[in-house]
Amino acid sequence: MPTVLKELVGIEAVSKWYMSLHVVTKIFIPFSISLSILFTKDPISVIPLILIAVAYCRISGISLSLLKRYILVIGSMTSFVALTFILFSRKPGNVIFDVTLLNIKAEKGIFEWRIFITDVALSYICLFTLRIFVMIFSAILLLGTLTDRDLVWGLRSIGLPLGFAIAASLFFRGVQFFISDFYTVREAMMARGVDFSRISLIKKFFLYINALIPLLSLMITRSYEVSMALEARGIAPGTKSRSLYHRPKMRRADYALLALNTLILFTYAMGSLC
Amino acid sequence: MTSKKSVKRKVTWLQIVTFAFATSISYVLGVVSSLIFPVLGAPGVSALYVAAAIYVPLGVWMGLWGALAGYFSCLFLGLYPSGYSIVQSLVWAFADFFEALIPVLIFKIFRINPDFSIKRPKAAKLFPILISLGAVLLLLGIAVQVVWGATLGEPFTSFYVYSVYIGTALAGLGIILGLFTGDPKTWAAYIASVILASLISGLWGAATLTLYNFPPPLPAEAFWPVFVGWVIGDLIVLSVIATALLVALTPVFKRTGLYVESWWA
Repeated sequence: MPTVLKELVGIEAVSKWYMSLHVVTKIFIPFSISLSILFTKDPISVIPLILIAVAYCRISGISLSLLKRYILVIGSMTSFVALTFILFSRKPGNVIFDVTLLNIKAEKGIFEWRIFITDVALSYICLFTLRIFVMIFSAILLLGTLTDRDLVWGLRSIGLPLGFAIAASLFFRGVQFFISDFYTVREAMMARGVDFSRISLIKKFFLYINALIPLLSLMITRSYEVSMALEARGIAPGTKSRSLYHRPKMRRADYALLALNTLILFTYAMGSLC
Repeated sequence: MTSKKSVKRKVTWLQIVTFAFATSISYVLGVVSSLIFPVLGAPGVSALYVAAAIYVPLGVWMGLWGALAGYFSCLFLGLYPSGYSIVQSLVWAFADFFEALIPVLIFKIFRINPDFSIKRPKAAKLFPILISLGAVLLLLGIAVQVVWGATLGEPFTSFYVYSVYIGTALAGLGIILGLFTGDPKTWAAYIASVILASLISGLWGAATLTLYNFPPPLPAEAFWPVFVGWVIGDLIVLSVIATALLVALTPVFKRTGLYVESWWA
């Protein structure tokens, strides 16, 4: 069964051992790592978390080449964080660089816009940048190891009505349906004489916006068909399934990993108090 | 004979399935918007967040299902491709929940039956531009006053005063034109929804990215650029694209029985 990341970008975890873990474990590991970021106070304390997250990605068999897809995110966030600390804030500390860019004499003082870099500002830039890596690795780990079947079975195994499980499943199917509908509408536009290669970007944008009306109409039609099929099978949204084809069980490895990650989270929490 | 009021409507598959598909559409559009029109440095935030044009009208048509579609699409957008952690995404996603919740609250509390039919097409084309422009000027004026005007006085105070006056005048003109577009109750509720939804969503979204989260992924100093970018993007999308969808598809939702009269059914 494909993972969420496989359905979105075609990359998934290949480790059968990791994929056979209980859904609770697979959710708790990235959850605990992301919660541990809260307790990091300096760049040094973030580095072990990055290593832990990378180690889990390696164990689960997720290719770290996936990081290439996040280059835009990492680049834009890092530069924004750096610019914010350099141009819009003045962190006290040993001044490394100080230049005034703009000076306006105001009624109650002087408005100064300065490039102001201190050692403390640099430390903050490092902290925020390293945190970005932990965030991204934990998100990759979650989406790369969680399948939609995990979610559906997980929701069913905790006794929620079928409405929840089917909605979760349809969400993942819906992404593919929408993309396929979009191409259908686009081809219909081209058949009516629209040449997407020649028109300007703005005109293209407005044409795509206009396409939202037929796309939503198609969504309504499809919703009707799917809901009719469900009704025809005599299933009500509130029905609770009595039988489960797959009953996930917690194994020793699950308990061990849950304990290990609780310990990591606890260590970081205690470390922030000291 | 059973009166209409005594019939208790229940949640059907049609609503659940439409919610699931609308969440998928919102997610895909959210990803596309944040890649094509990014607010640089704040992944997942777009200067033209087209996804809002799906779940906000869905709130008007389908009540709280729209708010849920907003929440889950934003949750997944936070995880991929924005790269926020699961905890940060869970908190941040409430921004889109509130964005769709505002029109739900306004339309349901005031018991307004949405009738987006247009009687004066020229007014319909003009009012979203005036309201967006007025609200943007108002927002910029307030931001300048809060950040610099309050402590430094002139010339920032003058900028604040002029932008607030001009912004209020334009937005006021837009609201009056909006009321002439068609059913005054519907359009007044919608205009209030657009402005409030953009502001509240922007406030929650920018605050959870910069000030309050577990931990906030961006520094606190980035609050104003993210907030202003978020609100302007939402105002433009809601007043232009969402309005067009509401005009075109409200009769379809009512005809097909998808329209939700209460909160859920």
